[in-house]
Amino acid sequence: MSTREILTLQFGHYSNHVGTHFWNIQELGFDYTGTEKSECNNDVLYREGRNTKGEITYTPRLLISDLRDTLKSLPATGGLPDEDVQEDFEWSAVEKIQEPVAQKNEYLADIDTKPLNEIVSKKYQLEDQINTWTDYLYPRLHSRTINIVKEYQQGSNESFDIFHTGQSLWKQDYGESFSDKIRNYVEECDSMQGFHVNFDCVDGFAGLALGCIEHLTDEYSKSILAHPIIPSYFPDNDPTTDEEKEISTGKDTQRIVNIAFSMSELTQLATLFVPLCTGNKGWRKPGKPIVFDYLNYKPELYYHSASILASALDTLSYKYRLKSNIYTLSDACADMTGYGRKMAAASLRLPFAIPEDQYINEFLEINEKSLYTSITPSCDIAPDKIFQLITIRGIEEYLMKKDERNPKYSNVKEMFELYFQANHFLSATNVTICEKPLQIKPPFPNIFSEKLNRHGFVTNEKNQTKVESCALMAGYHNGNFLSNTIENLKKEVGRIKFAKLHKFSGEGCEAEEFKERLETLAEFQNNYEECLEL
Amino acid sequence: MAAISLLNPKAEFARAAHALALNISAAKGIQDVMKTNLGPKGTMKMLVSGAGDIKITKDGNVLLHEMQIQHPTASLIARASTAQDDATGDGTTSTVLLIGELLKQAEIYISEGLHPRIITEGYDLARNKALEVLESMKLPIEINRENLLDIARTSLKTKVHASLADVLTDACVDAVLAIRTGDKPVDLHMIELMQMQHKTATETTLVKGLVLDHGARHPDMPKRVENAYILTCNVSLEYEKTTVNSGFFYKNAEERDKLVAAERDFIDQRVKKIIALKKKVCDGTDKTFVIINQKGIDPLSLDAFAKEGMIALRRAKRRNMERLALACGGSAMNSVDDLTESCLGYAGLVYEHILGEEKYTFVEECKNPLSVTILIKGPNKHTLIQIKDAVRDGLRAINNAIEDKAVIAGAGAFEIKANLELQKYKDSVKGKARLGIQAYAEALLIIPKMLAVNSGYDAQDTIVKLQEEARLSPDAIGLDLSTGEAIKPRDLGILDNYIVKKQILNSCTIIASNLLLVDEIMRAGMSSLKG
Ligand SMILES: Nc1ncnc2c1ncn2[C@@H]1O[C@H](COP(=O)(O)OP(=O)(O)O)[C@@H](O)[C@H]1O
Ligand SMILES: [Mg+2]
Repeated sequence: MSTREILTLQFGHYSNHVGTHFWNIQELGFDYTGTEKSECNNDVLYREGRNTKGEITYTPRLLISDLRDTLKSLPATGGLPDEDVQEDFEWSAVEKIQEPVAQKNEYLADIDTKPLNEIVSKKYQLEDQINTWTDYLYPRLHSRTINIVKEYQQGSNESFDIFHTGQSLWKQDYGESFSDKIRNYVEECDSMQGFHVNFDCVDGFAGLALGCIEHLTDEYSKSILAHPIIPSYFPDNDPTTDEEKEISTGKDTQRIVNIAFSMSELTQLATLFVPLCTGNKGWRKPGKPIVFDYLNYKPELYYHSASILASALDTLSYKYRLKSNIYTLSDACADMTGYGRKMAAASLRLPFAIPEDQYINEFLEINEKSLYTSITPSCDIAPDKIFQLITIRGIEEYLMKKDERNPKYSNVKEMFELYFQANHFLSATNVTICEKPLQIKPPFPNIFSEKLNRHGFVTNEKNQTKVESCALMAGYHNGNFLSNTIENLKKEVGRIKFAKLHKFSGEGCEAEEFKERLETLAEFQNNYEECLEL
Repeated sequence: MAAISLLNPKAEFARAAHALALNISAAKGIQDVMKTNLGPKGTMKMLVSGAGDIKITKDGNVLLHEMQIQHPTASLIARASTAQDDATGDGTTSTVLLIGELLKQAEIYISEGLHPRIITEGYDLARNKALEVLESMKLPIEINRENLLDIARTSLKTKVHASLADVLTDACVDAVLAIRTGDKPVDLHMIELMQMQHKTATETTLVKGLVLDHGARHPDMPKRVENAYILTCNVSLEYEKTTVNSGFFYKNAEERDKLVAAERDFIDQRVKKIIALKKKVCDGTDKTFVIINQKGIDPLSLDAFAKEGMIALRRAKRRNMERLALACGGSAMNSVDDLTESCLGYAGLVYEHILGEEKYTFVEECKNPLSVTILIKGPNKHTLIQIKDAVRDGLRAINNAIEDKAVIAGAGAFEIKANLELQKYKDSVKGKARLGIQAYAEALLIIPKMLAVNSGYDAQDTIVKLQEEARLSPDAIGLDLSTGEAIKPRDLGILDNYIVKKQILNSCTIIASNLLLVDEIMRAGMSSLKG
């Protein structure tokens, strides 16, 4: 069968950080030599086109939404070279108002001037040079990709921090032109699988994204996989004075209400949704940064934490982006959402670092901890009675010690299947193995421990080498355990008195609506309560 | 765009006593930036972003939103201009100027100790009087091409160069007249604005029919057909998995393909039904057949249609379905089960146009083109947007005139007249509120003053000249921008919308009063300013 296309939609600043890493990973993984055996069909996420000069372009099938002032050095037209015809503009008096030209940091300057292989082998320290996601975006984008919300800007007095503000923006011209662009993309596709919608669920983008998801549901009968994302950190998270504390508490309240509204709507509109955050709680505050062995990252740097979520999203979607093309997004959705359990959890093991002198089966034998870590906030993935879709990359056959006399399994896939069977009581696990590891190329941040060798395995030698690739594992999981996550959210939001939500009522939200949305969540929770047989 | 550095963003924290002064200075600052824009001789602004994006406009509302003005006063003024734009589509620069001027004039009296509350009372009275004057100056019009051309031209010449304005004027008026039936309100949505980026052409044309921004997705389909039946439908013609197949249970490609085949058959049946109808109505005639579907059409279905020499378009815009039915006749079908000839529409000509990676399909020579398309060609994005904005405003102006059934003499005529009437009225009012009326009368003159200044004439001289003339003339008197002399705007076809002026008077008075009463409002909490 032909390529099964996916259209990706990103709403909000943090999601665009995640997206930037995601698309960097895609594009820096392209093989232009035609010599590598790639498992992944790039056409699923990318489209071929032509610019006005008639040159072939290959750009993400993507729509982005963000506030003004977030683009900095990236033109709103996406930055592809284009024929720029400057006609003689006829008007007697023209006043030119020129903003200072946006400065490009070291990395952006390099991609303009240096060959890719030079950039890939260079060591960057970009932490201090990144203010927005375009500061490390490698791909160029199609001219329809970027959709700036002009009405609001970051940190201004007219902030975009309420669900309903986004919801009503969707009903205006913004939503109309956005849906037109969706249609343009979908029209081009011969055999679409569905939509990826990644959005910030803590501010106005939540309402905007849900307006869009509702539109997708109405207009297209395609699978919609939504990832409501909570940023790893907010600038008001560490208040010192009483006044700051009060502001922070107010913002936490706003954010959790936006989160709850998002979830409640998603239960009605998405095919499958999986909340993501690199903080362990997500609400009311992101919480402690999730610990990954052999990773050191700073949660206050979106550039860091977003790279973790991006590698998870890359691996999670691998299953239905393979060239073999057996499994699709709608299969993933169907597999994960039995009994109306539309919400699932995600996990990540980054890197999947085994000691370099050990076989994977030896490692699994002595390993006692869970193999993966939840990246869904306020969620402990239970070991039993779960459905899971697991993708493992970069554990190649040679890493497995073959036991010729007693072959319980003959390859890595069977080995892992056996492992999960043995470790998860009453569970169903679908395992996908991809040979190739995750390529770590700049501008992916240097967050790996020094204990890792070039290939991301644990070494005892003192080494200064850069990690160039690593094995990893990511999964979607569903089961009764998610009831606790919903319960936790419900309880926290339940404490909030509607009368205190001035900004929400100011945007047209009524007490009744607030109540109804909480009830929707409670009803949804029932889907996870019964002890259902597998 | 960081243009307005004169506004201090910290003003939010200013104390109430201070706030009034800040409000006034902010409104003056914004007025300074915008005042050169007013009228057909105003300056065009070209905003260039840090990444090189270009925006060309002289529209007050667009400017307020494009420029970074982080100041509560500015955002209040921006809100007024947005409201103005939403309600009428025009008059936004005037709105900004008038608010600024109302504050400036008030400042003079406040500095002499008059309480702002007294001024706002005067403003209220003056506004009511000005509305009366406006009412009395209404020029009733008959809805015909000539009259609409005047109003559209006046509006468009303030937005694009005169030669382009003439072209757009014709296109806009003809578009509105084409879709207008009897005295029913015109639905401007039935005029599609379609942009085409084209390196050599800047032209705008009216297509009596539809232009769709997509084409057939099959290489063998004809690029042009005449005498075509049009089937518009909202029926999926692509294979979509209807049953849930779990990836846990099926393991290989063959198994999957079997399932696909079974479900595929379902779609094939639909395709066959459409083809059967095509055969029935077209075979043996010179008729052709075009399918325009709101849902998807997959390659296999396209293949089948192509073999029959049909054109098939997928994923048509929802609104176009309605418009196609209007233009071509027939009705949009939600099922292919009972297709008959009467479901079909008709177009004399359907053809494809390819431009870079964009495809367009023209559906022309329709039975009754109650839906039309204004096709805008330009060499780059910002020109296209500028023209599109202008066309949209031109259409609004025409529609306003139709709804008002009247127009107002432009070129400052209303403001001159209202100023005179307010001066008289002031003497009939007792107490200090009359000072507010005086200030209001003075403030209105900002419009003719800036029209004069932007054309290179002296503001005072002009006002004196116009006032003298206006006192003597029974007809409205305005300013001829090419000579600096008084004229009768009506004779030159310089006509503005009644509703625009009315909205300006209302919103400017409210916003200016809010800004003047800032200390009271601050005490009551800024939230009362919302909405
Ligand atoms: N040809 C003209 N001669 C004189 N005044 C004109 C002419 N055309 C328009 N005007 C005046 O220009 C003003 C509108 O200017 P414009 O730049 O469109 O600002 P706004 O945003 O307020 O509509 C109106 O007062 C109108 O009467
Ligand atoms: Mg105007």
